[in-house]
Amino acid sequence: MNRRDFLATTGAGVLGASLLSPPWDRLLAQTQMPHAVWVENGEPAQLLAAALKEMGGISHFISRGDVVVVKPNMGWDRAPQYAANTNPELVAAVVTACLGAGAKTVKVFDRTCNNPLRCYTNSQIEEKAKIAGADVSQVRESRFVNKAINGELIKEWPIYKDYLEADKVINLPIAKHHSLSGVTLGMKNLMGVMGGNRGDIHNNFAQKLVDIDRTILPTLTIIDAYRILTANGPVGGNLAHVKQTRTLIMSPCLVTADYVALELFGLGADDAGFVGEAIKRGLNTYDVKKLNLRRVRLA
Amino acid sequence: MTANIRKVVQLLALGFFVVLFLLARYPYTERTEADIFLRFSPLIPLFDFIQHFRFSTLFWPALVILALTPFLGRFFCGWLCPLGTAIDAAGKVVKSPSNRFSGKWEKLRWLKFGILLGCILLALFSVNVWGYLDPLSIFNRALTVVFYPLGTLFVDQALLAAGRIPFLEDPAMFVYDTFKSLVMPETQAHHQGLLWIALFIGGILGLERLSRRFWCRNLCPAGAWLGFLSQFRMFERIVGEACPICNKCQTECKMDAIPGGDVKHTSKVECIDCFNCGKVCPPKVKAITYRWRWSPYHTPVDMTRRQVLQTSAGSLAALGLLQIGLPSKDSQTRQIRPPGALPEEQFADRCIRCLECVRICKSNGGCLQPDQIRSSLLELWLPVAAMREGYCEYNCNLCGIVCPTEAILPMTLQEKQHLPIGLAHFDKDLCIPFAQNSDCIVCEEHCPTPDKAIKFEIKEVLLPNGVKRKVKYPYVIRDLCIGCGICETKCPLPGQAGIFVTTENQKRAGATAPEPAANPYGG
Repeated sequence: MNRRDFLATTGAGVLGASLLSPPWDRLLAQTQMPHAVWVENGEPAQLLAAALKEMGGISHFISRGDVVVVKPNMGWDRAPQYAANTNPELVAAVVTACLGAGAKTVKVFDRTCNNPLRCYTNSQIEEKAKIAGADVSQVRESRFVNKAINGELIKEWPIYKDYLEADKVINLPIAKHHSLSGVTLGMKNLMGVMGGNRGDIHNNFAQKLVDIDRTILPTLTIIDAYRILTANGPVGGNLAHVKQTRTLIMSPCLVTADYVALELFGLGADDAGFVGEAIKRGLNTYDVKKLNLRRVRLA
Repeated sequence: MTANIRKVVQLLALGFFVVLFLLARYPYTERTEADIFLRFSPLIPLFDFIQHFRFSTLFWPALVILALTPFLGRFFCGWLCPLGTAIDAAGKVVKSPSNRFSGKWEKLRWLKFGILLGCILLALFSVNVWGYLDPLSIFNRALTVVFYPLGTLFVDQALLAAGRIPFLEDPAMFVYDTFKSLVMPETQAHHQGLLWIALFIGGILGLERLSRRFWCRNLCPAGAWLGFLSQFRMFERIVGEACPICNKCQTECKMDAIPGGDVKHTSKVECIDCFNCGKVCPPKVKAITYRWRWSPYHTPVDMTRRQVLQTSAGSLAALGLLQIGLPSKDSQTRQIRPPGALPEEQFADRCIRCLECVRICKSNGGCLQPDQIRSSLLELWLPVAAMREGYCEYNCNLCGIVCPTEAILPMTLQEKQHLPIGLAHFDKDLCIPFAQNSDCIVCEEHCPTPDKAIKFEIKEVLLPNGVKRKVKYPYVIRDLCIGCGICETKCPLPGQAGIFVTTENQKRAGATAPEPAANPYGG
């Protein structure tokens, strides 16, 4: 091959390759993907769409044929406006997005604090997620399996089988006040897949929560802050304590998402002991001091 | 023919009863009226009248039955009563003997009138014993505590086991999901006092070993009341001249209502219109027909004056015995009744112990359980909140809505959320922050009132090892606590809870709380 041929072939190759349109945008997004996204001033579905766009699209997280678990907070027998459970519109939008990315099934469940039938119904999550195409089912005690934790305080704990077997997990908490831990966000939301006597976790809470969360990290954490509960949490019940913040926070790192969300309440990592503990033990993927946080304000 | 129609109606009535039972759960709309079959009980209007001198339209189904009975006789027993149908089924299983062998029990017939009379006499003194013996109440109680939990346990386990067989997995799980959505959306029910309720229904069904419809012939006060009303019933069994007196109808009669030596007669007090006599009459003869007669003959009630006196004396003694027990303050303090329950004495008088509230509570917070005998016999099987096992769901008011006799008054959700049924207290020897100087406050987390009734203060403590630590110490605010008991249910201690609810501060429906006694020392 002489030089001329080489140049011609290479030129044709480059031209051909660019005509076949490789995923430039995705490759680009991957290199510039922010550590976390903060989107505000929109309706739940708009917030989600904007955040996913910043993160490089849902297909960055969900592949064709995946079994996906979407874990909202629907622990309480409260209507959506009380901000005790994840916004049902947002849950539906996440389910739709996952199915759109080719997910085989999207499972939605939560081990509730109040009566499960009432929570599933009155949070309106069961209805809206089912319409969106999710497989919404009640938690069955027989489906918890003991998982080795080998943490500082917890050696093993029962975890829901469907959660462990899922290909991808989207952790979908609501941002709320909580007396014991200051706030409840993504890390605490994972308690909904834990079996056994969860009350036990409340003593030496931060340490135990980090112990367990360390072994069951989600693919993506989306914090619903469309409405946040500022007092009397995590049950709420008083509309005066609900603040409409119309915000959504997203990060592939559980701890980062929680860390960023503390700003909603004007708190720092030391005010919410479990976030501080998680950072101390290196559970965070990104250095919270040097976060690449993308802020978007919708028009 | 008529006997076959009767069997179909019996099964339909039983099915209706069971369907209503299944419908008594969350989600529930008031139009469902799941308690309507319970209000068919013919005893309810009688005792409602004794209590209030009124005929309440609330009990219209029973009033319809009572209005028809003087003409038709005890058709309710033979055609509609679900307990009667269950007894018939049990008779098939344990092979009930014919009247040739069971005739000797005829002498016990008066007993049901004795029981009815005793119930009436006690009711005059506001003591409700009849509720324990009401057939619909008995059946609902057995369904709630015994049959339904037993059935769901077996079906649940069997389907899950079938689901583990590879080639059966899909069909088994399909059936399982259907079963879970239609029959058993809630978790497996467990009830206290199971033993006695199981023995009670087991005894009634087991008595079929002695004779057919033993309970209905000899013991049932509702049967006695309906029998009393049908002494002159106009719908009669007519035996034609062709009768060869083969005695087949006599030996096969479910109620032994055909006298041994006189097959042409029927005891109108006992006959339950089952039409078996017509069915067993030999095909060539067919001498038995049924007709209306405008001048009916009379069958007297089977009770001698001596028996009336014995029963009255016995009832009086029972009444006395019920009064002289020691009312224990200790046990009364844990007797938390459902929200909207009438003041205790009226409540015990009005409640028929059908446990419909216990049933519907299971699909909600699940605190209600049949009560035990603590200090008085009459506490047995009243609903009581066992709050270590379940709590009163803040957004639920269904127990009052399904109560057939309004012993628990129906309330709006808002009324219910402001009516305290008790008050929570900390047991500081057990509660984790106090006993272990370590954070917990799971109770505070679950407290459902819009302004939490459990609050906490943060105090610094010096631990034995010299370390200082800030701990959250919870306390109860009396004016905010409604006694729902979710704190007691969710307390993470393995055994006895560090917080418990007592009847203190409870407010009963239809009554204002008693004024606290004045302090004799002027403080």
